[in-house]
Amino acid sequence: MATTDHTAAVHETTVLERHELAAGVIHLSLDAPQLAGATRPGQYVMAIPPSAQTAATALAVYEAEGKRASLLFFVTGKRTRELAELRCGDRLDVVGPLGNGFQCMNNARDVAIVAGGVGIASVLLCARELLRDGARVRLFYGARTAELLVEAQRFADAGCELVLTTDDGSAGERGFITDALERARKPEAIYACGPTPMLRTVARIATELRIPAQLALEETFGCGIGGCWGCVVPLAGHSSQAPSFPPAVRGGSDVVYARICREGPVFLADELRW
Amino acid sequence: MVNVRPSLTTRIGQLELAYPTLMGSGCYGTGEEFAPFADLRKIGAIVLKSVTRLPRLGNPMPRIVHTSAGMLNAIGLQNPGIEWYLERELPKYSGRPCKLVGSVAGFSIDDYAYVTQRLAARSEIAAIELNVSCPNVASEGETFGCDPGLTARVVRAARAGTDKTLIVKLSPNVTDICAVAREAEAAGADALAVINTVRGMAIDVEAWHPRLANVSGGLSGPAIRPVAVLAVYEVAQAVKIPIVGQGGIETVTDALEFFLAGASAISIGTANFTDPRVPERIVAELEAYLARRGCASIDAIVGKANVGFATPHQYEGDEG
Ligand SMILES: Cc1cc2nc3c(=O)[nH]c(=O)nc-3n(C[C@H](O)[C@H](O)[C@H](O)COP(=O)(O)O)c2cc1C
Ligand code: FES
Repeated sequence: MATTDHTAAVHETTVLERHELAAGVIHLSLDAPQLAGATRPGQYVMAIPPSAQTAATALAVYEAEGKRASLLFFVTGKRTRELAELRCGDRLDVVGPLGNGFQCMNNARDVAIVAGGVGIASVLLCARELLRDGARVRLFYGARTAELLVEAQRFADAGCELVLTTDDGSAGERGFITDALERARKPEAIYACGPTPMLRTVARIATELRIPAQLALEETFGCGIGGCWGCVVPLAGHSSQAPSFPPAVRGGSDVVYARICREGPVFLADELRW
Repeated sequence: MVNVRPSLTTRIGQLELAYPTLMGSGCYGTGEEFAPFADLRKIGAIVLKSVTRLPRLGNPMPRIVHTSAGMLNAIGLQNPGIEWYLERELPKYSGRPCKLVGSVAGFSIDDYAYVTQRLAARSEIAAIELNVSCPNVASEGETFGCDPGLTARVVRAARAGTDKTLIVKLSPNVTDICAVAREAEAAGADALAVINTVRGMAIDVEAWHPRLANVSGGLSGPAIRPVAVLAVYEVAQAVKIPIVGQGGIETVTDALEFFLAGASAISIGTANFTDPRVPERIVAELEAYLARRGCASIDAIVGKANVGFATPHQYEGDEG
């Protein structure tokens, strides 16, 4: 995976734009030139709550261009509700960019990006980099309803071919996005972000197709920067991402617990032992 | 008003600290993780993640749930074990611009004795904290800290292995924290850390299962602060050794409560997850507070909460 460059810092940013893309889906653009310049696809920030109460929230950097970095998130609880209340001109401090993101430079010419729900926030930068590199990019994007299938057009505008699914059939095909992936032409590589059950299915499909898959995992974080071991996933001991830790033997092979926030959040599907 | 800058230096046993702030065990990694966002020269010491004799994978996920005014964690003491730790981890930590306190956890008296002795022998380690109060390991973990007699045996065993400052971290999940505190003091502890996390549980009402894989976890953050302040206050009456107060400290006001209750130093854990600038901010604001109150040093306010300020009222003839 792309390794963390040590440009992470605390950034004092200002909200430039705020859009509610659907009920409870917020897109915040921040004036954050250094963050925008340093962020690699698949990286995230810890957003410091303006009230200074309760823990910071891990949010993917959705866009990063010029002086602007943006965050796209669903309101799921108290912490995201507080961030949703920010208005243009308000200050938001964020720590980042954090984590090891997607490695977009590979030789795959026909690539599938799979996004489930808010996972879409982690893959726009990745899509753009792959397209810039000349790859053909299909976005497999699933959400509960048509309304929650936010930002699909932006990916189309960027040059992605879209395959959409919704749980209720209100847009695209009805069903799981991974079913659509299985029915589609075999890609040379997969990049994915979404709920864990979706990622597990993507991993299985990639194994069956014998193609590499990079998965951006989502978990509840404590510190978000590697200090608390609250966010682990079992990883093959031989993985280049494995932390320094005595391996445990499981099913005849070496396994270590890696921190999703620090060694990840992007892992190679065939190195996960979950 | 004093004109000189108030002194924030403090002593915990033989541990001399430039600032009266420690970073809570398990909350600050090795310091390296926070270094890009926090000035480690502006903190007193980092208490490292607890180490055990043998490696531990820790609990399954989920290990963390955020709650109304804090969080529950059940990491389960994930650590590489003392041998690996001494050989491969500790050497990486030398050169930190603040003191390092090693934290020891165990499942037997012998574990505590062995790990303490091995760890304390290392020059990177300035002091030892005995974690006899981890609520997140099946069975034994917390039993030591919940039993005054067992606490005393752990402390005596660890004491035999080192002359370095020994801090005993107390559990709030007890009937009488002062009884444990007194035993720890009598057994040779140089200081007490008060308090570790409070046991708790959260349930997913849609999935009908606990939110933590471990079922229960340790509650930290602002939710436990009043519990911790009282514990510090009461323990301070019960013992003579210094106290490192902790539990939900996020602001200078929170920190001051602990000093006034009787803590000689404070520890900041979960607040680092909210904002890594918190420790530096608290130190700057502590200094400003002391200057404003005309105090020459932090010691001047330790234990100064005056409890006799209210006049009791009672009905005539009521013996109270
Ligand atoms: C994620 C997490 C991991 C912790 N791990 C340890 C540990 O390994 N050893 C220990 O003695 N205390 C551990 N603690 C307890 C803290 O050091 C601290 O005593 C407690 O959280 C109360 O302080 P706070 O509210 O400022 O966090 C941990 C706390 C958290 C939140
Ligand atoms: S959230 Fe703390 S180590 Fe990942």
